[in-house]
Amino acid sequence: MAHFVLPNSGHNYDPESSKLGMWLFLFTEILLFGGLFIVYFVYRTINSDAFLRASYELNITMGTINTIILITSSMTVAMAITALQKGKEKFAINLLWITLLFAIAFLINKYFEWSIKIEHGIFPGMEHYNGLETGQKLYFFLYYFMTGLHALHIIVGAIFIGFVIKGIQEGNVTADRISLLENSGLYWHLVDLIWIYLFPLFYLIN
Amino acid sequence: MSESLSTDLNFFQVKKGIISWLFSLDHKRIGLMYLYAIISFFLVGVTLGLLMRLELIAPGETIMKAKTYNQTFTLHGVIMIFLFIIPSIPAIFGNFFLPIMLGTDDVALPKLNLLSWWLYVIGALFALSTLVFGDGPADTGWTFYAPYSVQTNTNVTMSVMAAFILGFSSILTGLNFIVTIHRLRAPGMGWFQMPLFAWSLYATSWIQLLATPIIGITLLMIVAERAFGVGLFDPAIGGDPILYQHLFWIYSHPAVYIMALPAMGIISEIIPTFAKRSIFGYKAIAYSSMAIAFVGYFVWGHHMFTSGMSGSARIIFSVLTFMVAIPTAIKVFNWVATMYKGSIDLQPPMLYAMAFIFQFMIGGLTGLVLAALAADIHLHDTYFVVGHFHYVMFGGTGFAMFGGMHYWFPKIWGRMYNIKIAKFAFALLVLGFNMLYFPMLILGLMGMPRRYYDYLPQFTDLNVLSTVGSWILAIGLITMLVNLINGMRKGAPAGRNPWGSISLEWQTKSPPPLENFDKQPELNEGGPYNYKN
Amino acid sequence: MEDHSKEKQHIVSYKENFGTWLGLMLLTALTVAVSVANASLITLTVVTALVIATTKAILVAYYFMHLKFDHKLYRIMLLIITLLFSSFMLLTIVDYLSR
Ligand code: HEM
Ligand SMILES: [Cu+2]
Repeated sequence: MAHFVLPNSGHNYDPESSKLGMWLFLFTEILLFGGLFIVYFVYRTINSDAFLRASYELNITMGTINTIILITSSMTVAMAITALQKGKEKFAINLLWITLLFAIAFLINKYFEWSIKIEHGIFPGMEHYNGLETGQKLYFFLYYFMTGLHALHIIVGAIFIGFVIKGIQEGNVTADRISLLENSGLYWHLVDLIWIYLFPLFYLIN
Repeated sequence: MSESLSTDLNFFQVKKGIISWLFSLDHKRIGLMYLYAIISFFLVGVTLGLLMRLELIAPGETIMKAKTYNQTFTLHGVIMIFLFIIPSIPAIFGNFFLPIMLGTDDVALPKLNLLSWWLYVIGALFALSTLVFGDGPADTGWTFYAPYSVQTNTNVTMSVMAAFILGFSSILTGLNFIVTIHRLRAPGMGWFQMPLFAWSLYATSWIQLLATPIIGITLLMIVAERAFGVGLFDPAIGGDPILYQHLFWIYSHPAVYIMALPAMGIISEIIPTFAKRSIFGYKAIAYSSMAIAFVGYFVWGHHMFTSGMSGSARIIFSVLTFMVAIPTAIKVFNWVATMYKGSIDLQPPMLYAMAFIFQFMIGGLTGLVLAALAADIHLHDTYFVVGHFHYVMFGGTGFAMFGGMHYWFPKIWGRMYNIKIAKFAFALLVLGFNMLYFPMLILGLMGMPRRYYDYLPQFTDLNVLSTVGSWILAIGLITMLVNLINGMRKGAPAGRNPWGSISLEWQTKSPPPLENFDKQPELNEGGPYNYKN
Repeated sequence: MEDHSKEKQHIVSYKENFGTWLGLMLLTALTVAVSVANASLITLTVVTALVIATTKAILVAYYFMHLKFDHKLYRIMLLIITLLFSSFMLLTIVDYLSR
C-alpha cells in the first residue's frame, strides 16, 4: 500500500502538461510586450509626424537582414523537431547549432545597429538625443527598450537551445522525450513572432 | 475506510529539518510556508495600519510627520496588496487543497511551484530592503503614480522591483493551477464535477496569468524612466501620466478579482458544508466566476474618472463597471438560496462566511456608488474609497481567508481549535472591523480626503471612533491567532471529516499523507455537493 | 481536456517547414517593398504592415509552432488572448482619440 500511486500523479512525465505550461507562459510574454505596444501606439497616435521623422534614422537593410535571419532560424528549429521525431539525432543537433549561429549573427547585427546610433549621439542623456523633439525622443527610447528586451529574449532562447543540444547528446532528449526541444522551439518561435511586429513598426512605418 | 493506516507517516513527518521544507516540492509544504510568510506580512501591515490610525486619532501631528505618514501608507499598501492579499488564498489554500480536491498528489509542475515560492521570498526581501537602504520606503502610495514616482528620491526603484518579482511569482502560481486543472483531475471528474473552489481558482489563475505581465512591464518602464530620465510618463519631458494610469489599472483592477474570486470559492465550499445542502445553482456559480474574470478586464478606467480621460471613455468604463455587479450578485443570490431552509450549523467557518457576505456586499454596493460618474467626482480620493476597498479586501477576502483557516484547520493539522474562543474572536473581529471602517464611509461623504496625516477638526469624532475600532480589531486578531496556534499544538484530534463534508479533501487522513491519498479517492455521485437534502 | 497524449504526434515534414519559410520570406519582401515604394500613404502602410505581419504570425504559429496539428484548445486560447489584448489596446486608444 505504501506504493500506491495515483494514475493522475503530478510527478509523471507528461509532455502535454509542459507544453500547455509553455503556451501559457508565452501568453504572458505576449502581454508583457503587449504593454509596450500599447505605449508605442498611444505615443504614435499623439506624435505621428515625429515618429515618422525618427524612423528615417533606422537602417531598413539591417532590419531586413535580421528579419531574414530570425525567420530562417525559426525554420531550422522547426526542422530540428522533425529530425528528432524521425530519430535523426545528429541532424537535429546540427540544425540546432545552425540556429545558435543565427542567434549570434542577429545579436552582432543588433550590436552594430545600436552602436552606430550611439556614435551619432542618439541615446538618452547624449547631446544629439537631448536636442530632439519629444516625439522623437520617445520613439528612440521605445526602440531601445523594445529591441533591447527582445534581444534579451534571444539570449535566453539561445541558452535554452544550448541545453537542448546537451540533452540530445546525453540521450535525455529523444524522440520519446521531446518536451524540452519542443518547448524551447515554441519559445524561439515566439521571439520570432515578436520581431515580426517590431520590424514593420519601427523600421517600415513611413 | 480502515483506520489501521495510522502507522503511516503524514506529510509533516516524512522528512524533518528546515531544508526539507525550504526546498520541498510537496504542494502542502509549499502552501504552509506561504501561510506562515503571508500571515507574518499581514501582521506587519496591520501594525502599520494601527500606527496610521493612531496618527489620525486627533488632528495635527500626533505621532509622525507628514512624510513618514506617506511612507507608512505606501508600505502598508504594498505589503497588504502584493505580499498579503494577492497571494493569500491561492498560494496558501490553492496550493494545499487544489490537488487534493482534484484527487491528485501534487500540482502539475512541482518544480515551478517551488520557484514561485522562492520568487515570493526574494520579492519580499526587496520590499523590506526599502526600510534600510537609501532614502527609506517609497512615499508615492501603492499605486506609484507618475510623475511623482519618477521624481521622488525615496526608494521607488526597489519597491517597484519588488512588485515586479512578486508579480512573476503570482503568474507562475496561476500557470501551474491552470495546467493542473486541465491535466490532473481524477479519472471521471469532468469540469462540472469539480469543486467550486477549483473553479474560482481557475478563473483567478487566468487573471494572474494575463493581467500581471502588463503591470510588470509598466513598472519596468518606471525604473527605466528613473534611470534614464526619459519622459515616458512625466509630462514635463513629453510623457503622458494618464497612460501610466491606464497601464497600471489594466492590471490592478483585474487584481481585485484575483483577491475576490478565490474568496468566493471558499465561501462556496463552506456554505454547503454547514447548511448540509447541495449548492444552489452550481453551474451559475462556476460560470459567473469566469464571467467576473472576463468582464473585470474591461473596467479599469473607473479609477481614472477624475484624471482627465475623455468623456466618452468615462461613460464606456462606467457602464462596463456596472455590468460586473451582475455575476457578483448571482453568486450572492446562490449562496443565500443555498442557506435558505438548510439546517445551518453555526460553526466558526460558517460565521466567517456569513460575515463575508455581509461585508462584501457593503464593499460591492459602495463600489457601485463610486462607479457612477457624478458621484465619483465628489467621492474620488476621499475616505469613502478607503472604506470601500477595505470592505472588499479585508471584510471580504480577509474574512474569507480566516474562514478558510478555520474550515480546513482540522485537515491541515489533524487537530481542532477551541470553538468557543474562535466564536468570541470572530465577534471581536466583526465589531472592530465595522467600527474601524464604517465611519470612514461617512467621513468620505463629508469630504475628508485620503492620504493625509492631518484633517479638519470637524472630522475628529468619527476618526476617534475609527481608531478605537482598530484596537478592538487588533485584539480580535490576536485572540484568533493565539487560539489557532494553541489548537495546532495541543488541540483534540479531529479525525478525517469533522464537519461532515463530502468533498474529496475530507476523504483522506488528517493531516494527509505525502501522496495525499492512500487509495483511489471515490468521487461523490451526482457532483461534489450532492448532500442528502 | 481529453486525453490525447497517447495519440501519435503529427510529424511536420521538412517540406512543410521549408514551404512556411518561403511564405514568410515572400511576405517580408512584400512589406519591405510596400514600405519603400509608398512613402506618402502613411496610414495605408501601417494597416497593410499590420495585416502582413499578422499573416506571418499566423503562419509561424500554425506550422512552426504546430498549432494546426495540436488540440484545438490551443487555438481557442490564443484567439481569446489576441482578442483580449486588442480590446486593451482599443479601449486605451479610444480615450486618446476622443479627447
Ligand atoms: C488593522 C488593519 C488595518 C488598518 C488599521 C488599516 C488602516 C488603513 C488606513 C488608515 C489607510 C488610509 C491611509 C490614508 O489614505 O491616509 C489604509 C490604506 C490602505 N490599506 Fe489598510 N488597514 C488595515 C488593513 C488592511 C488590509 C487587510 C488591506 C488589504 C488587504 C489593506 C490595504 C490598504 C491599502 C491598499 C491602502 C491604500 C494605501 C495607499 O493609499 O496607497 N489595509 N489602511
Ligand atoms: Cu477597479
